[in-house]
This record gives sequence, structure tokens and C-alpha cells, in this order.
Amino acid sequence: MKHKLFKKDRSTIWKIVGGLILLIIVSCQMTIDSIVQPASVNGGDILSVTLNVKIISNQDQTSRFMVAVLVPKVWKASQPQNTTITFVSDITTGPQPMTLIPTGTAAPNGNGLDWPTYLNNKIGNGGNRLSDYEWVAFYSNSAYTVNSSSNFGATVSIQMKTSPDNLLFKLGYCIANSSDGLSSSDRYGAYLAPTNSCFQVIGTGDLIDFCNPQLSTIDPRNSLDNDIITVNFDGGVASTDLDNAAQVYLCATGITTTGDILPVCVQTDKTKMTSLGLNRWQKDIWPRSLFNLNANQHLARLEYYFTDASGNKKVGYGNGSGPFTYTFKCQ
Amino acid sequence: MKKILLFFVLALITGFYACKPERLIVPSEPVKNVAGSWQIIKATRNGTDLTTRFDFSHFRVQFSDSSYSIDSLVPFIVNKNGKWTFDNPNYPFFLSFKPTDSAAKTSQLLYPVVNGQRNIIITFSPGCSLNSYQYTLQKAN
Repeated sequence: MKHKLFKKDRSTIWKIVGGLILLIIVSCQMTIDSIVQPASVNGGDILSVTLNVKIISNQDQTSRFMVAVLVPKVWKASQPQNTTITFVSDITTGPQPMTLIPTGTAAPNGNGLDWPTYLNNKIGNGGNRLSDYEWVAFYSNSAYTVNSSSNFGATVSIQMKTSPDNLLFKLGYCIANSSDGLSSSDRYGAYLAPTNSCFQVIGTGDLIDFCNPQLSTIDPRNSLDNDIITVNFDGGVASTDLDNAAQVYLCATGITTTGDILPVCVQTDKTKMTSLGLNRWQKDIWPRSLFNLNANQHLARLEYYFTDASGNKKVGYGNGSGPFTYTFKCQ
Repeated sequence: MKKILLFFVLALITGFYACKPERLIVPSEPVKNVAGSWQIIKATRNGTDLTTRFDFSHFRVQFSDSSYSIDSLVPFIVNKNGKWTFDNPNYPFFLSFKPTDSAAKTSQLLYPVVNGQRNIIITFSPGCSLNSYQYTLQKAN
């Protein structure tokens, strides 16, 4: 009796263990082996990028292929005329088309999140220091079946129209499928720009630098004089004359669309900045009020410095003598 | 037997008269009243809370029967006085401001009661349309 029971327990235990092993090793591994991407393009040109991808599966699965790009919002990559993504692979014939995943579509295993939010949460900002970047995700138009013991390569071709803006950005890419989402790291592949690399668009206008810490930024990056804008001074980025300043003030000049020069460079409550600690300072201003604009005046841009309480110590762009600049415009 | 029958008949008659038709009064939704002076108790820009970072404290918007007026202007849905309307006075979803000298601006409206106090929540873009501001207004004392 005892002998029989013991045998039964043993086989049950092996069935459980066997099942667990099966669970652990079932996977659809997707990796970006390498990418081909230029170091820079001219503003307004098409950026061509190639992703060399490997897919290893040991389960039968039918899914759509997902490719996502991490790009500056100014490129408006989600507009169909701006981005084209296709791929070829060992298991398909001819270039396979892909289409933008409609806004709001829940990602698989994403707890209701859409793909851009899911990608941002899981993979992050790729090292971009300004907030107006976005993940833009595409599904293949067709679903494909892979069977257990699939091992094949694919080449993804990405064509993106850049905007005319002068910018430095850390591009990123992700591949996944419509069944697994980003549920575990062996089910998707990501490529983020290495630490010291930065993609450049040689364009026009103020440089939008996502890569390097900035002495000063203004948020939102796109605004008009009737917005409330946040002027930031990060004295922690480099040693400046304001290193030990007990109080920092904004010294700004508004230039109107008709060429009026309106300086507000006084050290009063109007321009007094708030300390965020660690040599970082911040001031929220309403330009129409700060520069006392009349109904017919509109600001084209701002030129500004940061000063100490005496106004004598002044920090400008690149810690130099020229001012920081900000242009009032919407996207 | 006759007594029992009589009892039942009497009970039946009483029963009939006991039931009175209930006149249902359809409850009517009260017209939303915004008359008075309102101040900003919370302000966000693109989700960032600016309430304590920028001085909104002096701002007032006064609503009367059909007009509004603004004191101590801050970035707002409109910057001149004029007329206001709800899309529906009983069930408002939108609040419209029509300054005397320019086109009307309309905001989606939230009108919750929070801690026993009526709030008005409006959403608008005073500058670039991609910058979204949300103000929570409460009656000023």
C-alpha cells in the first residue's frame, strides 16, 4: 500500500516540475542585432534607418510584428506622410507594409496602456533630457505564423521625414509582437543610443538640444507670450559666476514682432527666482504681464541672462557673454 | 359562514379604499447657478501644477445673469469682459465666454461638488493650442 502511494507522489511531482520547465523555456525571443543609422541629416531630409533583427521562437504563434521609434515630437512621425516602415524577412516574400497603431489601442499585457505609454514606461526616454519626445508604434499589416523551432532574421527599413529644426536627439527603436507586448525582456528587443552618441539634424532656428545638460531651458518649449512659461537655470551643469549666489534673478529683454525692445532687468520680486536646491533655480512668468505689453504688441522672442542680487554677476548662453534666447512659436 | 363572508367583503372594500394613487412628481434638475465671484484654487499647465508657483490669488471672475467680468487678469480663456452661456442650463457640459469685441471661446465644463463646495473646472489654451491649462474655480468669500 505504502509502496504504491510513494510511486504516485513521485510521478505527480515530476509532472509539476516538467510543466514548470516547459513554462520557463517557452519564448519568442526578439533582438535587434545591429542598426544602420547616419550620424546626422539636414533639416527636412528623410532619415533612413535599418534594423537587423533576429527572431527565435520555440512555440507556435501567430502575431503581428511591432516596430516603434523614439523621436522628437516636432517630426510628427505619426502622420502617414512622414514615416514609412517596411520589413523583409527569411519567412516572407517581398517588403511587408506596416501601419501606425491607432491612438488609444491597448497594448497586449499592458494593463490597458496604449503602446506609446507602455513603451515610455518600460523602455524610458532613451536619455533625452527634454520632455517633448514620443514613442511612435507601428504594426505589420498582416499577422504571421511562426512555429516552434523558428530561427530567422528580418531587416526593417525605416524612413522618417525630419523637421527643419536644428536639433540633437537620442533616437531609439523597439521591436515586439502583438501577442506578447513587452511582458518580459526576452519577448521584445530595444536599441537606445549609447551614452556619448547623439543624432544631429543640421537645420534652422534655435538649437533644440535633447542630449546635453543645459544651463537654461524654458518649458513649454513651444509657447506664445500669453502662456505661462517656466524659465529654468541649472547652475549644477557647469561652474558659473552664480555658483554660490544666495539669490538668482532673471534679466530678460522681450523683442516684439515689430522690433520693440523691452528690457526687464531689475532685481525685484518680479524677477526673483525660486531655489530648487543644488544650484537650480526656476521662475514662472507670464510674458504679456512681465513686459507690460499693450493689446497690439506681441513678443517674437526673449533674450535673457541670470544675475545675482547686485546685477553685476551675469550668466549667459554657454556660460558666456551672449544671452540665452527663446523664440515664441507654436509647433 | 355568513359572518365570515361579511368579514371578507368588508375587508375587500376597506382594501380598495386603502390604496390611494400615488401622484409621482417628476424631479426637475435645478438650473446651475454660477452667479457670484469666483477665484482660482488650482491651476495646471500640461498637467504640471502651477498653483503655488505663479500668483493667481488676485484673479476674480464675476458671473451675473448673463454677463461676466474679470479682475486682475491672468492667462485665461478670454481676456476681456462679455457675456457667458451654458450649452444647457440644467445639464451644462460646456461654458462659453463671449468677449464684447471678439469671438466666443468655449470650454468643456466640469461642475463637481467637492467638500460641500461647488467647483467649476475649465480647460483652455491661452497661448499655443498644444498647451492645455486647467483651472479649478471656487466661489470667493
